[in-house]
Amino acid sequence: MGEVVVLAVSAVLLAGFYAAMAYGLGLIYGVLRIVNLAHGGIIMASAYVTWQLFDRFAIDPFLAIPIVLVVFFAIGVGIYLGLVRFLPRGPAGAVQSLLLLFGVWLVIRNVAYLLFTGNEQVIHTGYATSSVRILGGSFSATRLAVFAVATVALFTLHLLLTRTYLGKAIRAVAQNPDSCTLAGINVERIYVFTFGLGTALAGLAGTLASTLFAFNPSFGASELLKSFVIIVLGGLGSIVGIALGALVLAFAEVFAVYAVPPYLTTAVGFVLLVVVLVLRPGGLFGQRVLR
Amino acid sequence: MLEVRDIDVFYGDAQALYGVGFTVAEGELVTLVGANGAGKTTILRAVAGIRPVARGDLLFEGEPLRRVPAHRRPGLGIALVPEGRELWPQLTVRENLELGAYDRAARARAAESFAHVYDLFPKLKDRAGQLAGSMSGGEQQMVAIGRALMSRPRLLMMDEPSLGLAPLVVGQMFAAVRRLHADGLTILLVEQNLARALKVADRGYVIETGTVSLTGTSEQLLADPAVRAAYLGV
Ligand SMILES: Nc1ncnc2c1ncn2[C@@H]1O[C@H](COP(=O)(O)OP(=O)(O)OP(=O)(O)O)[C@@H](O)[C@H]1O
Ligand SMILES: [Mg+2]
Repeated sequence: MGEVVVLAVSAVLLAGFYAAMAYGLGLIYGVLRIVNLAHGGIIMASAYVTWQLFDRFAIDPFLAIPIVLVVFFAIGVGIYLGLVRFLPRGPAGAVQSLLLLFGVWLVIRNVAYLLFTGNEQVIHTGYATSSVRILGGSFSATRLAVFAVATVALFTLHLLLTRTYLGKAIRAVAQNPDSCTLAGINVERIYVFTFGLGTALAGLAGTLASTLFAFNPSFGASELLKSFVIIVLGGLGSIVGIALGALVLAFAEVFAVYAVPPYLTTAVGFVLLVVVLVLRPGGLFGQRVLR
Repeated sequence: MLEVRDIDVFYGDAQALYGVGFTVAEGELVTLVGANGAGKTTILRAVAGIRPVARGDLLFEGEPLRRVPAHRRPGLGIALVPEGRELWPQLTVRENLELGAYDRAARARAAESFAHVYDLFPKLKDRAGQLAGSMSGGEQQMVAIGRALMSRPRLLMMDEPSLGLAPLVVGQMFAAVRRLHADGLTILLVEQNLARALKVADRGYVIETGTVSLTGTSEQLLADPAVRAAYLGV
């Protein structure tokens, strides 16, 4: 019994990180109908940026978050204005966008190999080994901090999307861009901003990941896939959908220890994805539009 | 107030409008009528800026419009209630209306505009929290008109607001149009329901295969034998 509780807490903590990680991908897909294949590359790049800030300037990863958000928002805006903007809109551009953004990912990855070699990196903060006791289990302080930051980020995003003119315009563009133009909304600007925001969120995920895991330039591939699993499970409907998708994936992975050997737990998500796509193509909590 | 001069509009290689020209004066209610596919929607889209004009000029209050991007035109005072309503179905009625006032000047007057829209369509006030997509057709049309009014237009264009509505609701819709006109709003109305449209309008233009074929006051058009034969079935 005690062990189950500990695993459940552990899954909830992991789900927080997963939700923050998937949200950027979901947001960009919901508004632009583009699967950002560079998502994993951005997460990896941000882990390196965070490590460099820590290593060279002794900036704590959690304090680096504002810098990372600004830098990756700018990078997202740059990718949109420099590349994505030129793609044909709608289904016609779907294949091109996949190829283009996959290309962006390869470039980011190779730059990382050039600059930092393929060696694994870890960030050793002073509090890396401290832990906190919850419900009879011992959890690292870092994991709790990651959960807290992820939750705050998602809550802030929820407020942005539901309480501000800009956020409502983003949701409206996701649902019907043409009538947005008629209402005086500059749809192109919403696209730029959304791509920037989604990239900044991937950046945040990279910073959080860098405090939890070792990483090398190949890092990010399974993060991209898991993000994809989460948005398929949870739909694009809302923050709640994403959170549910993240919880399902995290619980499945954590509790898979009872069923499969540890090296297979990452495959759990993909099995889940296939099962869901076959049984409920609309997603488990099926909302296909951002609302 | 609006002057359309000799415009050509294309969809790819297919030409939809051939030298269309007409005017709407301040305070007028002008209607464009014509058969399916005649080009009425295309005319409104060109004025709203969501369809580019290949040749000719558009003037709004004497200023050329062609170089003004579509999303800036609501700020000038031009609003379009599009064919088929085109709401944001997963946003609430209130959010749909709110975004109608996206332009800065309109946003500053949003509270006043909400009062005006709720006064015109009291039903929307009761349904403010409901998702727009879950409303009936007539209610959705009210939201679409309300959203356009939120931008404080000086020219309101409506594309077949009675399309697909029950007769009783059509009556309410025309009553609303009449009231807006009586309050001094300039209106350009596209309608398939020619008899009804001419009854509320000051003047009308008959559009046929991308050109203006006939124009006159409502009385003149209603009395015209060709119009009666082609559109009224008498
Ligand atoms: N998106 C489009 N692509 C290609 N051709 C189009 C498109 N929209 C309209 N057309 C063509 O342009 C012409 C004018 O169409 P338009 O929609 O303006 O007519 P309408 O008078 O509004 O008709 P209705 O009464 O059926 O709404 C038609 O021949 C139509 O086939
Ligand atoms: Mg039409």
